[in-house]
Amino acid sequence: MGKYIIKRLLHGMVSIICVVLIVMVLIYTLLDRGKIFSGDPNFNHTASNNRIIYQQSRWEDFGYLDYVPYADYINELALKGEIDEDTRAAAVLIGHTPEKDSETAAKYVAEFTEYYQSRGYKIERLDADAKRNGQLRDGGQPQLYATRDIPLLQRAFTYFTKMFFVDNIHYVPDYVDMGKRGLTFTLYDPVKNPAEETKKVFSPAILGNGTLHKYLLYFDGKFPFIHQNLLTLNLGQSYTVNRGVDVFTTMTESQGAYVLSSVTYPTGVTADRADDLHTASYVQGSLNATASNAQWFTDDYTNVTTHKKGLSRLGYSFVIGIISTIMSYVLGLPIGLAMALRKDKLLDKIGTIYIMFIIAVPSLAYIFLFKALGGKAGLPTLFDMDSSGKLMYVLPVVSLALPAIANLMKWMRRYMIDQMNSDYVKFARSGGLSEGEIFTKHVWKNALIPIVHGIPGSVLGAMTGAIITERVYVVPGAGNLLTQAINRYDNGVIVGVTLFYAVLSVLSIILGDVLMAAVDPRISFTTKDR
Amino acid sequence: MNTINLEKTGLSEQELFSHVDHSALESEKIVAPRYSYWRSVFRVFFRKKINIFVLALLGLLIAFAYIYPSLVDYDPFANLMDPNSKHLSPAAAMAYFGKDLQWILGAGSSGESTFDAIWNGSRISISLALVCGAINMTVGVIVGSIWGFSKRVDAVMTEVYNIIGNIPQILLISVMAMLFAPTFWTMVFALTVIGWLFIAYFIRTQVVIIRDREYNLASKCLGTSTVKIAMKNILPFMTSVIVTLLATEIPSYISYEVFLSYIGLGMSDMSLGRLIYQAESAMVTPGWEMEFWSPVAIASIITVVLYVVGQNLGDASDPRTHM
Repeated sequence: MGKYIIKRLLHGMVSIICVVLIVMVLIYTLLDRGKIFSGDPNFNHTASNNRIIYQQSRWEDFGYLDYVPYADYINELALKGEIDEDTRAAAVLIGHTPEKDSETAAKYVAEFTEYYQSRGYKIERLDADAKRNGQLRDGGQPQLYATRDIPLLQRAFTYFTKMFFVDNIHYVPDYVDMGKRGLTFTLYDPVKNPAEETKKVFSPAILGNGTLHKYLLYFDGKFPFIHQNLLTLNLGQSYTVNRGVDVFTTMTESQGAYVLSSVTYPTGVTADRADDLHTASYVQGSLNATASNAQWFTDDYTNVTTHKKGLSRLGYSFVIGIISTIMSYVLGLPIGLAMALRKDKLLDKIGTIYIMFIIAVPSLAYIFLFKALGGKAGLPTLFDMDSSGKLMYVLPVVSLALPAIANLMKWMRRYMIDQMNSDYVKFARSGGLSEGEIFTKHVWKNALIPIVHGIPGSVLGAMTGAIITERVYVVPGAGNLLTQAINRYDNGVIVGVTLFYAVLSVLSIILGDVLMAAVDPRISFTTKDR
Repeated sequence: MNTINLEKTGLSEQELFSHVDHSALESEKIVAPRYSYWRSVFRVFFRKKINIFVLALLGLLIAFAYIYPSLVDYDPFANLMDPNSKHLSPAAAMAYFGKDLQWILGAGSSGESTFDAIWNGSRISISLALVCGAINMTVGVIVGSIWGFSKRVDAVMTEVYNIIGNIPQILLISVMAMLFAPTFWTMVFALTVIGWLFIAYFIRTQVVIIRDREYNLASKCLGTSTVKIAMKNILPFMTSVIVTLLATEIPSYISYEVFLSYIGLGMSDMSLGRLIYQAESAMVTPGWEMEFWSPVAIASIITVVLYVVGQNLGDASDPRTHM
């Protein structure tokens, strides 16, 4: 069995990689990349050469290409110490046309061209855009840059290799002097044990210096109580939906109003703020960048997230999804069963009409119908993250559960009727078994097997959220992330969310098979079919 | 006791009661009532009285969707400049424009007749569903049968299905919508480009179930060709499955189009989905509710009617119900 599952997982991984590749082709090659500027006010404010430069730099941000302006190249040479400040200043100024370049500039332009051309880049030189009187137009300065479209395989390779990030003490560049690098284990978490306190609170933690995160392992009062930052998942960086934040973080970070508490910072200063010091991560030179950082922190680990009141996107979707899934199984299975046992009686007819209603009527229509009916009944129709009421969950849960109940009713009834008409039931009946015995010992168990196969799928599927339900009731869940990302051309998020969906769907099929084999001893994936 | 009136038969007593000899040749013949498959399908279908009603309703809907718009000249922007004609309740519209069938549902956001708008939208939505259904079913059934029959094709197609099935359909449709202008035919393309795959997978499973049944094995042993097995042994069994599938597919395209329009990925034509999307704010505005609920109601009625007709036709096309 173990071997079989590993084989299935490997197969699944291959199809996930293929899905990511196809999605990358769809969004990076097939789509017109000019569309990202359609709602961009900055684009219309730039003109002439500056507009072209702006386009290139935006395309780089969105992950389409690699863009290297000439000035960056020269500045980097200066940083490395290959050229002195005077040469830099002379080299960086290019003429209005290539013929007007100064001697130094011409030399470095030639070097730049050769260096990037040999690496497959395309060199573009934009001549100065001058008016008739010789003055430059707005944004008409001469420009020189190299660009290269990122090839699909390279893009996919870097995506998959960067997906798992293991925090290590060499994360901070080697030239930064930050004292002794290394991991330390402490029994007394410094966040809970400010320096001046004498009474120690026992709380083990692993701290790092030179790592991205300061706290690699720690305990706190929030579920699941033990937290780690050693291994982080990067599904792709967002650009427009949640700027600069990874998709996985976008899905899992809590939302809503800040929760203020008395926070004692490493310098000993105490303030009423929402910062979660356990999440401190490294930002080079940030300690002295702002006055408040210098006042609160003692090192460059200043980037902290905040405690917020609400759940994460994934959290809201999952809570709503899992309650409605449980409801659908608890209600759908018995009703389907009762319909099968009273076939063609009143209950069966009412149930069939209900199933037909759900299948045939557009889901949008009945969700609006429930919303209108619920509003009349006095239930809150809009989701409010900052309210602590539980009533606002009722309508989204019901809207999700009703179609799921109809679906389960339909299949449970079908499977039960098929089983009751089968030969072994007739045989059992002629052998003298009572209807109750036939039902509890044979029919019921057999009818449930295909239902069991779907359980992992519905539990995992609860995480993906529901597009229409979340939109109609304004639930801040994960269901709308994909449509939001598509509307705002956030390529990183599209790829990340697709990967997340694909992993869930592959896992749920494998888990469904495993669960089915566990429930039904006749099903075996290891022995060959007879 | 039944008494038979002999005069009704129109035969003389002699003809009726003459002695018939045993004929060895005649007794070899098997005499059965003439059986025509499609005639039996319709006989079973019309046996249920509700079907006649639903079919009549479907005919009425199609007549309104396809004939009515060509009779009236519907211009959604005809009253655009008239500020008094916007968002009128049925009563107000009738009072303003005069008593006419056109204004029975009031007027919409640009002073257009809601009644005309929904029938125009229905025409587009029904056409979309029929075109997509025809393409997907044809390709899906053909590919699905080959997929189910050939084990070599099965291995390849199952992997293809696992991969393509995981691509979010919304993503694919929005890419299509952005690549081409969001017209009717773009929508058809977006819904059919991978839509057939799911139908093919369903048909494949059905074919696999029947393919290895004993009677097919026996047929194969007797030397029947694969084509004949497919046509004579499997296709009759599949007819009801295909019709039932069609019954769920066609309404599902209408629902899906409504859904896509709602999330902003619909086509530019004023389909039912787009009407619902545009009138969403009208749902909660007192006096404007008709603008929202009438396209919702029509979409629901169309899908339910299509579904009921299809389901009952699916039941009737199962030869086991023809007894």
